[in-house]
Amino acid sequence: MDVMPVRAATRVYGVAVRLLPDAFRARYGRELEFDFREIVLRAHMRRGVPGVIGATLGGVRDVLLSVMRERGRGGGTSETRELGQPVRGRRPQPGEAVMQWMTELRQAARALARRPGFTTAAVLTLGLGIGANVAIFAVVDAVLIRPLPYPESDAITLITHHAPGLNLPDLENSEGTLQFYRERANSFSAVARVETTEGNLTGLDRPARIAVAEVSPNIFDVLRTEPWLGRRFQPEDAVTAGPPRTAILTEQGWQTRFARDPDVVGRVIVLDGQPVEIVGVMPDGFRFPQPETELLVAREVDPNGRFGAFGIMGLARLKPGVPVEAAHREVNALQAHFGEVEADLSPAFLEQAQWTAKVERLRDAQVKDVRTALWIVFGAVGFVLLIASANVANLFLVRAEARHREIALRAAIGAGRRRLAWLFLSESLLLGAAGGAAGIAVAALAVDALVANGPRQLPRLHEVAVDARTMLFAIVVSLLVGTMFGLLAMLRYVRPGTGLVARESRGDTGSRERHMVRHALIAAQVALALVLLVGSGLMLRSFDRLRSVNPGFQPDGLLSIGVSVGGDRARSAPIYREILREAASLPGVRSAGLINAMPLTPSGLNGGSFDIESRPTPDGMIPPTSMWSVASHGLFEAMRIPLISGRMMEPRDSETPTNTAWVNQTFAKRHFPDGDALGQRIRLDGQTWLTIAGIVGDVRTFGMDEELSPMVYLPLSTTQPSTSIAVMNLAVRADVRMEAILPSIRSIIARVAPDAPITTARMMDEVVAESMAGTSFTMVVLGIAALVSLLLGAIGLYGVITYVVAQRTREIGVRVALGAAPGRVMQMVVRQGLIVVGIGLAIGIAAAFALTRLMESILFEVSARDPLTFVVVVAVLAGVSLAASYLPARRAALLSPLEALRTE
Amino acid sequence: MLKRGVADYLPLKAAWLHILLALAEGSRHGYAIRASVDARSEGRVRLWPATLYGSIRDMVAEGLIEEVAGESAPDDDPRRRYYDLTVFGREVLRAEVGRLARLVDAARAAHVVVEA
Repeated sequence: MDVMPVRAATRVYGVAVRLLPDAFRARYGRELEFDFREIVLRAHMRRGVPGVIGATLGGVRDVLLSVMRERGRGGGTSETRELGQPVRGRRPQPGEAVMQWMTELRQAARALARRPGFTTAAVLTLGLGIGANVAIFAVVDAVLIRPLPYPESDAITLITHHAPGLNLPDLENSEGTLQFYRERANSFSAVARVETTEGNLTGLDRPARIAVAEVSPNIFDVLRTEPWLGRRFQPEDAVTAGPPRTAILTEQGWQTRFARDPDVVGRVIVLDGQPVEIVGVMPDGFRFPQPETELLVAREVDPNGRFGAFGIMGLARLKPGVPVEAAHREVNALQAHFGEVEADLSPAFLEQAQWTAKVERLRDAQVKDVRTALWIVFGAVGFVLLIASANVANLFLVRAEARHREIALRAAIGAGRRRLAWLFLSESLLLGAAGGAAGIAVAALAVDALVANGPRQLPRLHEVAVDARTMLFAIVVSLLVGTMFGLLAMLRYVRPGTGLVARESRGDTGSRERHMVRHALIAAQVALALVLLVGSGLMLRSFDRLRSVNPGFQPDGLLSIGVSVGGDRARSAPIYREILREAASLPGVRSAGLINAMPLTPSGLNGGSFDIESRPTPDGMIPPTSMWSVASHGLFEAMRIPLISGRMMEPRDSETPTNTAWVNQTFAKRHFPDGDALGQRIRLDGQTWLTIAGIVGDVRTFGMDEELSPMVYLPLSTTQPSTSIAVMNLAVRADVRMEAILPSIRSIIARVAPDAPITTARMMDEVVAESMAGTSFTMVVLGIAALVSLLLGAIGLYGVITYVVAQRTREIGVRVALGAAPGRVMQMVVRQGLIVVGIGLAIGIAAAFALTRLMESILFEVSARDPLTFVVVVAVLAGVSLAASYLPARRAALLSPLEALRTE
Repeated sequence: MLKRGVADYLPLKAAWLHILLALAEGSRHGYAIRASVDARSEGRVRLWPATLYGSIRDMVAEGLIEEVAGESAPDDDPRRRYYDLTVFGREVLRAEVGRLARLVDAARAAHVVVEA
């Protein structure tokens, strides 16, 4: 026995050989296959598997060329080419083969046009199925497959640190670590500093708060993209401390603030009250670090910067030829040397903190959260296409069956098997192509809708488009689908015995195998539909669980408005208090308060280590850490955060420093398990001692599915250095509708703080909904896919049962005439259908068990094998199948025997 | 069947020339023809099976080669068919080689250096 590759190759060649004209094959076929086997054996000996592949390709190409040559010489049946006839008389017309195919295609098109109902239904179904797949492929391609839009983007990496032992799972970089890697890491050709922030842009017609990125000048070396107007940052442009002096606009900023003024280079703008010169403009399409970034300013890594203050993004380009894994290993090895520069980060400390570093490709870091969900969605629409195709295939087979006689006739007058096969294939390919064209149109619409309304968590969403690769995918899918139908019909109807079946035997109902293909298709549809339904059911339950998570505050009826007055405490605090006072006294406002970090949008939060007076941290141990924010009186009331013990914040706490702090329940339980937190004193970042005056309920700071973290609330009057009141959010709870209140609040702010831009104005229930957008998007897509598959499956089953019943009408008529009860007849028909469905259910359950494991990472508090979901889905499918089988069966049973017998 | 003259077959199709040359050394079966052509052209000319047998069929039809009973080599399948030149085929081959030789002479006369 030959080795596997050789066997496979000879089998492939054997299939190809069947395309040759019958006479030629009859005469030389055996030698052809012998010789090919010799060739492949030798190729395998000399060059292994690649040799086998090469030989197979060469052999198949040779066969195809010969086929074309034969056809071109004067197609039709090759029996007319007797040996001995002069060959060189007639030159083969190059266009002849093509013309023949064109004629056949035209015939196929006409045949399809004669049955508009079938054709329309098939094209629509396929169009929807292919369209959905092409649309999701466009997303998957742009987000997951395509590299980032920078030259050699695979070499761009993100450096991060992780300290789970300190409860700090994600640390970025500090000035110290960046400087450290610049000096000591050999894997990188450039290490750049990136920090996203916001700034007040004044001097234009309206003050605006814009997204700014502080970058080191070598960012252009990391990204390999240069400004297209003006110049890049030079080392002397960058500051290491204090406000920046030079800036470069992105397309977003140039378009929005300067209307693409070509003379913008050299202009000086005012950012946060300081002058900044614009030295360049980035090219269109450059959206770094975020799509909304409008301005890049130059800030270099401070060589004397603190080592322990993290939060800066570190982007680095690998040296050519250095794999990312090597860089990862090197950076991790360097962690041990931190202690040489910063005594606190000794190896012992790092070990306690379970400290690690990670170097990963930027693209991977960006998309890893959505990767699973996207692939699942891609699989789901693939399933839907399969189900839709199965439906159309069934329809196609029915039509083929109806043309049984026509086929037999053609075979009798000498049409070769190949021509008959081509008959089916040309129709099915046309259907596939038409479905593909419709699909591209559907996909274009869907992609437009997605880009406009897609979940914001989806990175690179703006890069999604229907382009050449997507079209190629559409063409390939259409061809595959089209070929599949044709092959199915071919296998069923184009076989040696066909030519003899010119007469149909009456009452031929025993040929169970005639229905086998159709039944197999139904079973497959049921199985696929079950998997989809289970998947979407699990997502539904996840979403439900997510929604029932208590956010810790009352989002309904809560309005949040962000105002940026500035970081100068002495100047800003009185302004904020005045805004709050006026807003709280508006008619209809129940309560109002200020906080610098709203839940579920954790920008503005600070954190660090703290000490407890009564429990000092022993030497050598890591001090505890917590997050903290700045809040005013009235905030807890406005947000309906419950007070567990102690007192609420009062106006006096917002006015003068009272050395007090409020903590949440998680903080109290973790650090004062005996329940005596009230009255204890804590000290944040080594500053003044604060007395805990109240304990409030927990709030979901980071996300509905994230864990609760300890939180300290400092009153507005605080002078704690590592806090910022540059932006404060006004939280307003009102009896009247929010749209009525918002203009009044805006005018208060415009009056009290004319230069202060409003950063956001949102209803908190929208914010909560948005935080679940990722889950809900997946759920909606899966849900639609499942419903569509259920509908298609039901239609398919209905169609098949109807057809089978129609075939057996005579038999049924005979039985009823002989006295069988209609009920028993019905049972008989329905039972056959349900057996097929049952097989499909069984396969589907097994498949679902295996496949839903892949969803585990996006489910929330639901097991991938959740029994309730499975049971419900099986019940629904069984019920639908029963209904779909029942109707045609009932009709059959109610036929009068005479009618039945009269049917042909 | 009207037999055509030798001259009607010149210039000879490249594949046919190679096949005739291979058979000049003696009768061969299909794969051996391929191997001979492959060796003589140092791998530059590859006669894949379908093309090869298509040519063989045509050449048989034209009377240039014929099937013969073959003494199969011990490891060959005894069902293989062997081919050999016909007398006519030999004449055509000779005529074609002569034509090519005259071409080479003409080239030398025109001071074209012929690569060996």
